[in-house]
Amino acid sequence: MISVKHLKKSFGKNEVLKDINEEINQGEVVVVIGPSGSGKSTFLRCLNLLEEPTDGEIVFEGTPLTGLKEQDLNQLRQKMGMVFQQFNLFPHMTVQKNLTISPVQSKGTKKELAEEKAGQLLKQVGLGDKLEAYPASLSGGQKQRVAIARALAMDPDVMLFDEPTSALDPEMVGEVLNVMNQLAKSGMTMVVVTHEMGFAREVADRVLFMDDGYIVEQGTPDEIFQNPQHPRTKDFLAKIL
Amino acid sequence: MKKTFKAFIAFFILAITLLIPTQSVHAEDGSLERVKENGELVIGTSADFPPFEFYAEVDGEQEIVGMDMAIARKIAEDMGVELVIRDMEFDSLIPALEASNIDMIVAGMTPTAERRKSVNFSDIYYQTFQNIMVRAEDEGIYDSVDSLRGQKVGVQTASLQEQLAQQIPDVELMQLGNINDLILALQTNRIEAVVMQGPNAVAHAENDNTLYTFEGDFELDEEDQGSAIAMRMGEDSLAAAVNDSLGEILENGLIEEYLGTAGEYMAGSTDGDEETSESFVGTYWSYFADGMYVTLLISVISVLVGMVLGFFLSLMRLAKNIVLRLIASSYVEFVRGTPLMIQVMFIYFGVGVFFDLPALTAGIIAVSLNSGAYICEIIRGGLNSVDSGQSEAARSLGMSKNQAMRYILFPQALKNIWPALGNEFITIIKESSIVSVIGVGELIFQTRIVRSASFKGILPLFVTMIIYFFLTFTLSKILNYFEGRMNHD
Repeated sequence: MISVKHLKKSFGKNEVLKDINEEINQGEVVVVIGPSGSGKSTFLRCLNLLEEPTDGEIVFEGTPLTGLKEQDLNQLRQKMGMVFQQFNLFPHMTVQKNLTISPVQSKGTKKELAEEKAGQLLKQVGLGDKLEAYPASLSGGQKQRVAIARALAMDPDVMLFDEPTSALDPEMVGEVLNVMNQLAKSGMTMVVVTHEMGFAREVADRVLFMDDGYIVEQGTPDEIFQNPQHPRTKDFLAKIL
Repeated sequence: MKKTFKAFIAFFILAITLLIPTQSVHAEDGSLERVKENGELVIGTSADFPPFEFYAEVDGEQEIVGMDMAIARKIAEDMGVELVIRDMEFDSLIPALEASNIDMIVAGMTPTAERRKSVNFSDIYYQTFQNIMVRAEDEGIYDSVDSLRGQKVGVQTASLQEQLAQQIPDVELMQLGNINDLILALQTNRIEAVVMQGPNAVAHAENDNTLYTFEGDFELDEEDQGSAIAMRMGEDSLAAAVNDSLGEILENGLIEEYLGTAGEYMAGSTDGDEETSESFVGTYWSYFADGMYVTLLISVISVLVGMVLGFFLSLMRLAKNIVLRLIASSYVEFVRGTPLMIQVMFIYFGVGVFFDLPALTAGIIAVSLNSGAYICEIIRGGLNSVDSGQSEAARSLGMSKNQAMRYILFPQALKNIWPALGNEFITIIKESSIVSVIGVGELIFQTRIVRSASFKGILPLFVTMIIYFFLTFTLSKILNYFEGRMNHD
């Protein structure tokens, strides 16, 4: 579904991604782990071109993303939902409007249909009563669940999660992971950058370990967590587990 | 670096010089024909100078009347054209003439040698005399030029009186643009005397018993004693026509008649010298109302145009394209770095060279262009203050740049910039007063008229201050209301 070839990304002189090659398959849940500064988030943000790759190729559902016209890129981004660490809800809109603004404006969905769908999605993430609330009145966990629902409102083929629980108070992490768990079970293709090793172990089909701009090692959760091969993977896991 | 800077300055001055046509453009004299073709004679005057030119109520309408205006009317009649009167600051008259905003100056102007270098004068139509104005209680203490030795004396900027006052030994001069301010300075003991043109001084003294005036024993050149009409250099056919009319006026002794009529208007405008402030406001309310209307008109249009302009400029400043960024930031820096007053004069007089732009339009354009630069910076700051995650979230949902700007970024920026935008609006209401220099009848300009028509110095200022405060306070209340509605945090 997403194919990454020789992806490189530099910020000025700082080379963050050095040579990434990766295939994400339909229905797969891929979890990316690694120390801070290893390039996990940059990798994820390159997948929907929030960061412009310095070199290399990203092909999404058969279409190369690099060098694409603005308009076509917008079309493809509609199929890649993204959830941010800082939620990035639109504070000047109600929860319902947060969910309907993009379907209505960029996909041309009828307002009534978009609102009906928003209602279903909010029920699905356990916030059916928050339609008219503004983001400022929600807790962190509720905000992140709204953000997930907002991404789902576009009917994406893949969901990208950029450290979705890192900004949450510990007691709210569970409710967000639950929603992500459900989503994985429903067969959604997901790429998740996270520090939640429990989630990785339980839900991931594949775990990627990144360090210093490379994917150093990858495998099933069992392979990575029970029997890491690379010394840097061992070192990292020893520190956090 | 220094060299390029010098070269830039030299180029700039050259460009400006080329933009402003020299007198030789008018060397081919078709001036009289031009006026007749246009069907109107546009004269400039400074209507705070009774009995020569001042405002009075004529059949319920505020009009500029006075001896000079009667003469101008006669000249226009003789040419068979309409008379159009443009009122502006005395200082602005000669620039306006040179920029072709007006055809001639009829403002009791004395044809000094200095002025003869830049304009063409008609025959002298009125022999005047020069007075010294003092406080009534100083009557007898000051009675001659010499008696004012070493004192502080007020004169109108760039006037003949400014030169004459130099004859007072060891004099210390106070120069102001407005005669009413000079008289106020006299009444509040800031200065000991004002040198004024005779009939004007007499008119003021007759209407205010705290003032006393006498003819000053100045040494006058022959040519310094009269009033003449100023025209552009080389416009000889126009000057000839004017001189014909003036000759007829002098022959038939019409000047006396004109002065008599002017005196009647003056008496009418100061009926009931003992009026209370309430009846003062009643009498002059229409001036203030007109001024308020024009001030609001200028401010509202300028802020709206400025917002549109500022919005596009801010997008240019935030654009990836370096040329767009450079254009926008040069514009902003230049406009912010130069005084609004000069911008107003530059647009009115500068553009007047090419085609006739009404003063109000020129004023609105100048204030709009000016506020566009400030609003650009306000909006840019507002957009920058929106968290970059907002734009990322919008783009990752597949919104286009325009949609993200319109639905996500701008509404949030608006909340941030609202107070600053309101501030700019309030600033413009006050700053728009600068367009009075080109004769736009906004509040400050009308205040000047009321001060000269009522012979009152302070009361009109007080009323104007209250009106400004009323406007700005009401506005800030309205803005606060909308700010509250935008708050969802």
